[in-house]
Amino acid sequence: MRWLFVAAATLLAGVTPSLAPGSLAAQEDDGIFPFDYELVELDNGFRAYLIPVNEPGRLAYVSMVRTGSRDEVEEGKSGFAHFFEHMMFRGTEKYPYYDGITSEMGVDRNAFTSNDRTVYYLVGNSEYLEQIMDLESDRFQNLAYDEPGFRTEAGAVLGEYSQGALSSGRWLNEKTRETAFDRHTYRHTTIGFEADVRAMPEGYEYSKSFYARFYRPENVILVIAGDFDVDWAKELLGQYYGGWEPGYVPPDIEPEPEQTGARERTVYYPGRTLPIVNVNYKSPAWSATDKMAVATEVLGQVAFGSNSDLYRKLVIEEQRLQSLNADFGLQRDPSLVDISMMVKDAADIEPIKAEIQATIERFQTELVDDKRLEDTKSNLKYGYLMGLETGQQVAFSLMTTIINTGTLEAIEDYYATLASLTPEDIRGAARAVLKESARTTITMLQAEGGAE
Amino acid sequence: MNAPTSIRPQARAFITSLALIGAAWVGAITTACAPFETGGGPEGTITLPEPESPYIAFNIWVKAGSQNDPAGKEGLAALTASLLSAGSTIADSYQAILEKLYPMAAGYGGSVDKEMTVFRGRVHEDNLEDYYTLFKNSLLQPAFNEEDFARVKSQTLNYLERGRRYNRDEELSKELLFWMAYEGTPYEHPEEGYVETVESITLDDVRAFYDQHYVRNSIVVGVGGGYPDAFVERVRADFDLLPEGSVATVNAPEPMIPEGVKVLIVEKDTKSTPISFGFPTTLTRGDDDFFAMVTANSWFGEHRNSFSHLYQVIRDERGMNYGDYSYIEAFPRGYRTQQPPVNVPRRSHLFEVWIRPISLTEPDNLHERSLFATRAAMRELEHLVETGMTEETFESSRKFLHNYTQKYGTTVSRRLSYKVDDEFYGIGGEGFLASIRPGLADLSLEEVNEAIRTHLQTTDMWVVFITADAAGMKELLLSGEPTPITYAGDKPDELLAEDAEIAAFPIPVDEDDITILGIEEVFQSPRATPTEVATDEQE
Repeated sequence: MRWLFVAAATLLAGVTPSLAPGSLAAQEDDGIFPFDYELVELDNGFRAYLIPVNEPGRLAYVSMVRTGSRDEVEEGKSGFAHFFEHMMFRGTEKYPYYDGITSEMGVDRNAFTSNDRTVYYLVGNSEYLEQIMDLESDRFQNLAYDEPGFRTEAGAVLGEYSQGALSSGRWLNEKTRETAFDRHTYRHTTIGFEADVRAMPEGYEYSKSFYARFYRPENVILVIAGDFDVDWAKELLGQYYGGWEPGYVPPDIEPEPEQTGARERTVYYPGRTLPIVNVNYKSPAWSATDKMAVATEVLGQVAFGSNSDLYRKLVIEEQRLQSLNADFGLQRDPSLVDISMMVKDAADIEPIKAEIQATIERFQTELVDDKRLEDTKSNLKYGYLMGLETGQQVAFSLMTTIINTGTLEAIEDYYATLASLTPEDIRGAARAVLKESARTTITMLQAEGGAE
Repeated sequence: MNAPTSIRPQARAFITSLALIGAAWVGAITTACAPFETGGGPEGTITLPEPESPYIAFNIWVKAGSQNDPAGKEGLAALTASLLSAGSTIADSYQAILEKLYPMAAGYGGSVDKEMTVFRGRVHEDNLEDYYTLFKNSLLQPAFNEEDFARVKSQTLNYLERGRRYNRDEELSKELLFWMAYEGTPYEHPEEGYVETVESITLDDVRAFYDQHYVRNSIVVGVGGGYPDAFVERVRADFDLLPEGSVATVNAPEPMIPEGVKVLIVEKDTKSTPISFGFPTTLTRGDDDFFAMVTANSWFGEHRNSFSHLYQVIRDERGMNYGDYSYIEAFPRGYRTQQPPVNVPRRSHLFEVWIRPISLTEPDNLHERSLFATRAAMRELEHLVETGMTEETFESSRKFLHNYTQKYGTTVSRRLSYKVDDEFYGIGGEGFLASIRPGLADLSLEEVNEAIRTHLQTTDMWVVFITADAAGMKELLLSGEPTPITYAGDKPDELLAEDAEIAAFPIPVDEDDITILGIEEVFQSPRATPTEVATDEQE
């Protein structure tokens, strides 16, 4: 049975709070991040945040690499950051069987990759802190795998590609990106193009260069959150990460030129779907201090969220849409925000587009209601606070800030900016971002014959 | 190692109605009216006080599930829960509810499995009063509004018509395995029902189902976390305002053990094949040999964990797919979570092997590879049954579980859900979570191997493939020919020698044992002969 979950829309689940740097943290009185923490910086540029969280006997150990599919600049290498994530589980000389060791400790360990990040985590019992650090620091510095092992893992990645290849969400996402972007690497999805995924077994040499350029102490931030001795952890950090050679090479990512005209495309999905209208706008980069950036994220919520006037009209009252989803979360580089609608009747597609346009124009001319704005700020605050129950949740809540800025401290900036937003700021964002010339509209229809 | 491919994965944003947060489960409608007390709360409550927590969690257990769906109305329990979760109340319109929940960033939702419906919610202590009013009203004062019903039904139908059979084959193969094994029992149909049966459900049906099953003597109230004094008593008193009723007790299903290997091949245009196989067992949580089987199964196929032996054989050593696991309890929607599901207790379970999609690597090798993976898994199962665990695998599995199971109850919502499941299974004392470590510590290798012999076997099983060219698959399977595979890289000689044995591992089937169905034919409507469900009326 699927869950039907009412409301509870939370914008920016990934945004985090933070604290003043320096020793023994101390939560600011009116700050949002409710935990003390300590930042450790090593000479090689490696940084670690140590956060005691009341979860008896447990801790989360999360390594955040500021590299994702955004960094796949070379032709034919789409999907490689994610593939490389798999290789990180193939062992080292010291510990050739990574899985065996983590299994013995019974830790929950996994990783994930997206546009701007590759994140590795272990969640387990606190007694294993040193073993975990030994293991993790070792694979980030001394990963070793041979070509046959590399080719075997490529097969698993192909399997992963296959299991979601025909999901309508991924399919639409591919079409949207290739239509909206001309240059920037956001043009491809994280899993990569199928041809590139099938060619992965040939990429052994390239994989070594990938590791050498990106898996460096300046590009990886560690968060340990849970029940552990902070002073002891600090000592261990120097011991296990101190010898890691710096050498990060930033990728040469081509910026996306300014879009100068609206784009429109109809695509035909080879499966079952109601029509989907996906309206995208080029958006600014994520920022904790830029009011326009933060206001853009809030705008998505107030104009198109599940509590918006438009949602009430089209989904609840008139029931012309099966669903209305707005994703206005920003990325490290300028990217897209989008409004996605599943339309019940294909004949209603153009009128629905007109509804969207009318809403946009309304937010460009009128000021958002004060209560709506305050409710949204409250939603963001509690959305954050509701997700801090475990060490893993606390660490994950810091991901967006850390990936985008390299630091945790920007969290308080982000929430301070949010608190300062006025209805004029929201209108300003609507005017600046939701411009016709920056729009890409994709209409996805079911191909003739559906899944046949 | 999932790769979120959304362009903006951090914005979990906007959970609109059908957010499909997975959670299935089961509940037994066992002794619906037997008084009980758990955790020090009043009768009919399950409490989990954690005064330091800033969160309060709710788990309202209604003792009715999809097994209570009337014939021809499969999906009714689920649609009822959906409407209560996403509908208006007498006090507030659905839109007003959304507006009131919004500043709290809180929500609530219902989930229906075979035997149980639960409504779960969670809120920060700052917002408890306002939240509880909305949550309570959704269950006690539903408006049964026509517009809400039309919206919720339409969303369900959209999923049934365009989602379930077309979006994620690896989950569909699991659902079809249960559909095969429980034919003719109250567990047969998927909780969401079939396209045709949901189409036939009316608002009056929902109202009648609610009146019959949402009665005070059939509802258990679970509350956990940092709730204030006397709060639980208040919640119970609110639910005691519901009328009393008599609920039909559904007899436990008697699943079919097949004679030999019975195969369903579902034809679909695809480049990869998910595989599920398994058979019913009599094992349930709380049985004396449950932890013995947990230990054996964890070693053989721990869910989404490389500790799984099947994973090592099929994925790690051979790179054939993304993962290979086995189960002794129902584990719906495992693709989206590593943690075991809660509130899916059932009186009957399958032993189940899940082979995630096997891709073709050359234009014509999909069936060879799919059958190779199936043979590999069956061969490993045979080996387990014949030789049991060794002292070494037993100890490593036990040690793994000693640590790994500590993650099962990491949040107050999960701990509370486990307590509800304990009540279902009749597990007393400190409950299931607290019993895991001592249960493991007490085991011996002999007990584990005895349990394996008792509960596992290799001759009688249901098998599901979803694949293109079903006739070609059937032909290859019937031929008994070996199905070897090749690799992109070099492999050690020992592995290649083992491959030759796997490729020729027998799967004994006759033509009559194989059924082919088109993707359009499954889950569209109930099987031709309606299921007769035996029920006893019970106060």
